[in-house]
Amino acid sequence: MLEQLLIFTRGGLILWTCKELGNALRGSPIDTLIRSCLLEERSGAASYNYDAPGAAYTLKWTFHNELGLVFVAVYQRILHLLYVDDLLSMVKQEFSEIYDPKRILYNDFDDIFQQLKKEAEARAEEMKKSKQVGKPVNDNLGRKQGQVQSGSRDGGNKKKGGDDSGKDGGDGNKFKGRTLENGNVNNNHVGKGDAPSKVNINGKEKGASDTRAFDVNKLQKLRSKGGKETKTVVDKGSKEEPKKKITKKNRVWDDKPSESKLDFTDPVSENGEQNISVVATDQGDSMMDKEEIISSDSETEEDEGKGNKVDTGKKGWFSSMFQSIAGKANLDKSDLEPALKALKDRLMTKNVAEEIAEKLCESVAASLDGKRLASFTRISSTVQAAMEEALVRILTPRRSIDILRDVHTAKEQGKPYVVVFVGVNGVGKSTNLAKVAYWLLQHKINVMMAACDTFRSGAVEQLRTHARRLQIPIFEKGYEKDPAIVAKEAIQEASRNGSDVVLVDTAGRMQDNEPLMRALSKLIYVNNPDLVLFVGEALVGNDAVDQLSKFNQKLGDLSPSANPRLIDGILLTKFDTIDDKVGAALSMVYISGAPVMFVGCGQSYTDLKKLNVKSIVKTLLK
Amino acid sequence: MDKVKVEELKIQLQQLLNEAQEFFRKIPPPQLYAAIGVVLFTVLLFLIIRLFKRRSSNTILLTGLSGSGKTVLFYQLRDGSSHQGTVTSMEPNEGTFVLHSETSKKGKMKPVHIVDVPGHSRLRAKLDKFLSQAAGIVFVVDAVEFLPNVRAASEYLYDILTKASVVKKKIPLLILCNKVDKVTAHTKDFIRRQLEKEIDKLRASRTSLSSADITNEYSLGVPGEAFAFSQCQNKVTVAEASGLTNDISQLEQFIREYVKA
Repeated sequence: MLEQLLIFTRGGLILWTCKELGNALRGSPIDTLIRSCLLEERSGAASYNYDAPGAAYTLKWTFHNELGLVFVAVYQRILHLLYVDDLLSMVKQEFSEIYDPKRILYNDFDDIFQQLKKEAEARAEEMKKSKQVGKPVNDNLGRKQGQVQSGSRDGGNKKKGGDDSGKDGGDGNKFKGRTLENGNVNNNHVGKGDAPSKVNINGKEKGASDTRAFDVNKLQKLRSKGGKETKTVVDKGSKEEPKKKITKKNRVWDDKPSESKLDFTDPVSENGEQNISVVATDQGDSMMDKEEIISSDSETEEDEGKGNKVDTGKKGWFSSMFQSIAGKANLDKSDLEPALKALKDRLMTKNVAEEIAEKLCESVAASLDGKRLASFTRISSTVQAAMEEALVRILTPRRSIDILRDVHTAKEQGKPYVVVFVGVNGVGKSTNLAKVAYWLLQHKINVMMAACDTFRSGAVEQLRTHARRLQIPIFEKGYEKDPAIVAKEAIQEASRNGSDVVLVDTAGRMQDNEPLMRALSKLIYVNNPDLVLFVGEALVGNDAVDQLSKFNQKLGDLSPSANPRLIDGILLTKFDTIDDKVGAALSMVYISGAPVMFVGCGQSYTDLKKLNVKSIVKTLLK
Repeated sequence: MDKVKVEELKIQLQQLLNEAQEFFRKIPPPQLYAAIGVVLFTVLLFLIIRLFKRRSSNTILLTGLSGSGKTVLFYQLRDGSSHQGTVTSMEPNEGTFVLHSETSKKGKMKPVHIVDVPGHSRLRAKLDKFLSQAAGIVFVVDAVEFLPNVRAASEYLYDILTKASVVKKKIPLLILCNKVDKVTAHTKDFIRRQLEKEIDKLRASRTSLSSADITNEYSLGVPGEAFAFSQCQNKVTVAEASGLTNDISQLEQFIREYVKA
């Protein structure tokens, strides 16, 4: 049963709401839908889920791009109403006929809407009935039910008081058989004025059909979920075994005997370099000589894009010229398709992840569908303009990325501003950490580094060298220590010695590595940093999507708190190595919603800059 | 066949040209110069009039953070009521109309062009399009939910105040504290002081960004002194209003001040 159906303009004025479904919506689902979905260029998605305290809604929408109208239907998530899409498109059609830009009130639409709703519900029931034909037990009672049902429905159609029966077919739940057309029985919406006998019959039917009916999809989902769980349990088992001991043992990567000594730093002398050369040979066979077990699948360039070259050939040119002069009436999906496909291929040749390019094109198609072509414009230029606008919208940060301002605020409050650098192996975390420290130093801010990469040999020395060159304090505890504890102590030290900013370096880790992600999430939970910066390289291809989504997901799932901290910003590195294949920036921003705060474009201290949205968009669409 | 036709056309054109030349030669020179002079003069006159017209534009911009009540105010100005409510705008609302409260007044009132620009941060770019033709800017602030959003509001206000078109043309700005019908709304003096304080801090952090691409073209205020709106080159005033209860008299005053009737 629908909670609400709204029609509003793109400028924000509500034109019509269904007065009957007067239930006030809890929270503000419409505003959230607009902010997190439609303005984020995800309008190609099928539906949007909204959770508020006390309600869980699902929202579906459709646009009328020519008139600039949006139609949104809200219903409870536990219901699976099948007729919503149908209803929305019918409402769109009917409303566009009576729409007038000057008019504000549309009270006459109420009756039309009632009719449309009944039609849609009836159609959904028909579909359901044809699906559930072979159910022997339900037949007898079902037939009786059906007769009673149709009787009441006919009566409703004739009379004006169609409220009750209007709500009858509301429930399209796949589980229940045809007997539960009377949606009033389901969940908390008690039907108004329904005969108690009907309710009883339905109650019994519900019980019967529950045990019998099952959804094949759900079974498949359960099966796959079970498979995944066993796999992770096995992984955890092998990797966590050594960690269960009380004393902290070395991290065992792949079942080889652990080395006796990992920490080669000489605590006395500053010249650690000399000592390292002496002990280098004692480490045994290096990983190069062993079989490669983990293969990273990042940095694969897109070569699919080149394969699907669409020929917008000669026929296309002539008809597009003609259409451009005549100004074709309305665009529909088939017209947009070739132009969108060409754009998608172009985006993919610029190293945008395939999934992201696809979603973007769908969103642009949704926003242009049904729009009237202005005369003297070609379809491709309209599509390009729409895509450009969409790209600028995505890349423009949602909130301010003025770090200096945040640092000053934290300074006033008397606590240090903590930044944690996370990312996979080898993207440039330590290098860019030094660059950020240099930049902050130039703005007269006291910086302190915290060496929480306690795994990789040389990580602490690397930071120590940077700290020496920049003349800033560094907090380190050597290797084999728990990074979360090191970070905590570093922050305490910073508040003691008056540092404004603490930059925390962590070890690189793959997004699939469960124990390491758990350790990272613990570090973030324990220390509650002000900024979690994901460091990603611009060379990455489709893996960017996987990296970011898995990082965010793991940070959310594995955190013991109710409001887990997710990735707040992105630092894009190695930007000087790509000349114009700048798509990784787009993929990362789209999938995570976090803004790009810095761009690293070289290996010296000054090679740090901000993302220039306009130039990126221009390069992407060139 | 075609070639013959083309030849014929060519000959005809030649004849016409010759005739035209003879016609011009027949006119005595002074008349000819007088005719050309008149044409040039009228062209110049039109250009000048167009320039003058552009100076006194009648566009008022409604900007502010998302959720501050701009779309409600727009419809109040236009129709006197906000109808069935509003949601977050995705596109600007434009309209040229006589203010609703003045439709009852006698005499011809000049219609005002009001533009309500969406406040959502992703749609900020749309503001620049309209800034060039604005005669006045209204920055709407939510007086109830002021403190949680004070940083975002002051950053947006700072961006507007430092744009080249605003500073050079000295476009007047009205800071409108909306939703004053609510009990917990802050006073306009409090809001003004808070905004001044925040913008002061912003001045320090923004001007020191030298390596990044600078989007703020001008710096505000007097260096060394605390920032106050009176230091701005364009006139900045503060007023109160309530969109839902149609208490918008101060807003209309501002509009009428800068869009002459």
